[in-house]
Amino acid sequence: MTTAPTAAAPAAGTTTPAAGTARQVLRRLRHRPSAVLAGAVLALLVLLAAAAPLVAHLTGQDPNAFHDDLVDSARGGVPLGPFGGASADHWLGVEPGTGRDLLTRLLYGARISLLVALGATAVQVAVGLAAGLAAGLGNRLADTFISRLTEVMLALPMLILAIALTAVVPAGFPRPLLLILVIGLLGWGGTARVVRAQTLTLRSLDFVAAARLAGNGPLRIARRELLPSLAAPVITYAAILLPANIVVEASLSFLGVGVKPPTPSWGQMLSTAQTWFRADPMYVLLPAGLLFTTVLAFTVLGEAVRTALDPRESSRLRVGRTRGGARSRKERTP
Amino acid sequence: MRPQSRISRRTAAVTVSLVLAGGLAACGPESGDAAKGAGKAGAAGAPQKGGTLTVLNNEPQSDFDPARLYTSGGGNVPSLVFRTLTTRNRENGAAGTQVVPDLATDTGRPNADATEWTYTLKDGLKYEDGTPITSADIKYGIERSFAAELSGGAPYLRDWLVGGDTYQGPYKAASDGKKGKGLASILVPDAKTIVFKLRKPEGEFPFVATQTQFAPVPKAKDTGVKYEEHPVSSGPYKVTANENDGERLVLERNPHWDPKTDAERKAYPDKVDVRSGLDAAVINQRLSTSSGADAAAVTTDTNLGPAELAQIGGNKELAARVGTGHFGYVNYLAFNPKVKPFDNPKVRQAISYAINRTSVINAAGGSALAEPATTFLPEQAAFGFTKYDHFPAGKTGDPAKAKALLKEAGHPDGLTVTLTHSTAQNRQTSPEVATAVQQALAAAGITVKLEGLENNAFNERRWDAKNTPGFFLSRWGADWPSGAPFLAPIFDGRQIVTDGSNYNHAQLDDPAVNKEIDEIAKLTDLAAAAKRWGALDSKIGEQALDVPLFHPVYKRLVGKDVKNIVISDWTGVLDISQVAVK
Repeated sequence: MTTAPTAAAPAAGTTTPAAGTARQVLRRLRHRPSAVLAGAVLALLVLLAAAAPLVAHLTGQDPNAFHDDLVDSARGGVPLGPFGGASADHWLGVEPGTGRDLLTRLLYGARISLLVALGATAVQVAVGLAAGLAAGLGNRLADTFISRLTEVMLALPMLILAIALTAVVPAGFPRPLLLILVIGLLGWGGTARVVRAQTLTLRSLDFVAAARLAGNGPLRIARRELLPSLAAPVITYAAILLPANIVVEASLSFLGVGVKPPTPSWGQMLSTAQTWFRADPMYVLLPAGLLFTTVLAFTVLGEAVRTALDPRESSRLRVGRTRGGARSRKERTP
Repeated sequence: MRPQSRISRRTAAVTVSLVLAGGLAACGPESGDAAKGAGKAGAAGAPQKGGTLTVLNNEPQSDFDPARLYTSGGGNVPSLVFRTLTTRNRENGAAGTQVVPDLATDTGRPNADATEWTYTLKDGLKYEDGTPITSADIKYGIERSFAAELSGGAPYLRDWLVGGDTYQGPYKAASDGKKGKGLASILVPDAKTIVFKLRKPEGEFPFVATQTQFAPVPKAKDTGVKYEEHPVSSGPYKVTANENDGERLVLERNPHWDPKTDAERKAYPDKVDVRSGLDAAVINQRLSTSSGADAAAVTTDTNLGPAELAQIGGNKELAARVGTGHFGYVNYLAFNPKVKPFDNPKVRQAISYAINRTSVINAAGGSALAEPATTFLPEQAAFGFTKYDHFPAGKTGDPAKAKALLKEAGHPDGLTVTLTHSTAQNRQTSPEVATAVQQALAAAGITVKLEGLENNAFNERRWDAKNTPGFFLSRWGADWPSGAPFLAPIFDGRQIVTDGSNYNHAQLDDPAVNKEIDEIAKLTDLAAAAKRWGALDSKIGEQALDVPLFHPVYKRLVGKDVKNIVISDWTGVLDISQVAVK
């Protein structure tokens, strides 16, 4: 769950010239019910996370306010009432021990999870693109150096390093930013590898050679000629990285090196909830279910995007189309 | 043994990690006196001899050398094997805080100024091999605890015995090149008498004589660091198996132990089988299920957590098997007055007023696992508990009073402080407790930034006199039930350690306090001493150098066939020497 999911790397190793327009891609996505559903779930989640302060205001709940009267202190602080203490004030119940409102804590937690995952993915893609292009376009020395470095990055045990890094950074450093940087800067190896491979293939193609003969420098070639063609695999790869990053953030928070209390995050909630699953199942099921739904939705959407960006998708026979497009295609090609 | 696969597997962090005594187990009151009679099935009826007691533990007993164990009797299991000059009174509650004779005929006879203590051994004391126990063996046992390779014991003897500060143990050659040199301040005029010469008055010497350094070690059988593989028993059981460095221990009856010489250990089971390395959740689940051998099982190191208590809830059968105990322990907010703004007593008082002990106790596991504390000393007569609440915060804090004090202190708009805590989930110095403090202080206009450190780093910081944080969560437990080991390390100015572990967090060095500590140490009347410890605690409390938060309560499950559960206030947990399984 920690290292980048390189196995599912994008759309085979074949060359993929720019893959249709954005509108085409959107249309293909719209025709996949699973993609539409996943997108809708994620849109709702992002909306709710963004509107967390509004929800807090509407329900009149502060995610960090203690409610000592809502828990049974003599019984270990278990919420009073059924379903984890759910009530008109606390729609999803309260946290055992503290009586803090679970709905607002989950939504504020979603902000951290999504923000860190998106930020870390952006960093991974940016660094991975730069490294991959530099390796693919540079001379042999640069290629060797960057490729070895990429392999080292891929081999690093990300979670352990992340724990070590988050532990040594001064306490004053903003925690979400720290998580973004740590996850982002440790997890770019997969992207770099994909980009380098694509670049090497593209470099030998006529339109790139023409650009080079016309006297364009490597930077301009990368920007004008390569990037448009790299968009498809990179976007696909990012869609795979994103759910993995959510899990990494949750793992770090679970282990106590994520965001600092009292800021809620899903991983931190799961961490404190683990002992409660018999006495107060709601407290465990809510963050676990949300984390599961989000990761699943991102994965489904990522897979759909990958298929939609596949240039062969439009030319494929509609007959007998299967979800596992990549495999069936491979079987058909000689 | 039944499979344990369906049991929730939690992280070890959930284990209620109490850094104290060797750990024992706990339960409801029943007379500690043995009464023989017809026993019925189950936990009812008088305790009888026989059967096998299983001990399910988290931590292996990796140290089994009497020189290396810290607490009185080395905690629970070791005290079945090692007898000491004096020992804990094995009774429920407050009576259990008394020190009583064990190998000796009394708790010690002091000279006029309590600098010399004399003990006489009982008749008929034998080791597991039948050889007699002599006072020279006790002297040797103490001497070898000074060896660097057998470190781990409490530091008191090194400090108290004449020449203890420079003695290196019997294995190392002394300055004149001779090996095996003894400590001149321990005299053995004959095989039954032992005399200790101290460099200062210590009225509480009998308490220290309960520690396993006072267990006899026959010189001929001493194998140095390997002695722990088979320590020679002076108690009711001998070690017949020790696997994986204390992960599994089997104790069987020592035929040469004479119950007539031992009024404290009941030794009902024929065999004690200790299995450790188990997850806390597994231990509690197995005890609550109580199937097979687990019906006759206890734990000597695993407490019930809040979620487990919630689950037991209305189950009467389970609730009846939960033992409750009070160990002398305090969890508190510590200040370092060298760091601003905590140099200002008004700021410290404001924080004392603002604290919401209801929230803090809920974060610590609820009212069943923690009791509010306004005094540093535990609420037990043995410690000299004297009730005081100099800065009354009530149940939920007095933010108005706190704000007024902050204004007087020159912070009319509130202030921002950093609270250092551990990231370990121990519900004592953990993020939960820190967050509860943070919330309470927010109501008084004090913004608390939390600085969570990994547990080892956290301990290093709070024990480092040069770099102590200004405001942090701390805790203290007693080495024996008295004010001395509770107040002296925390408030004695001469115990500020600059190049090691410093527990005087406030670095208080008040000549009046130091003098009173010395004066009380001279008392051999422990009740009179206790009174003065209580008065001293209240006096120091006026300075608001700390905010006492709560005293923990220990709850532990026992198997359904376990009888005669005795929990003293000395250890707060079940005494394994009293347990019967028949």
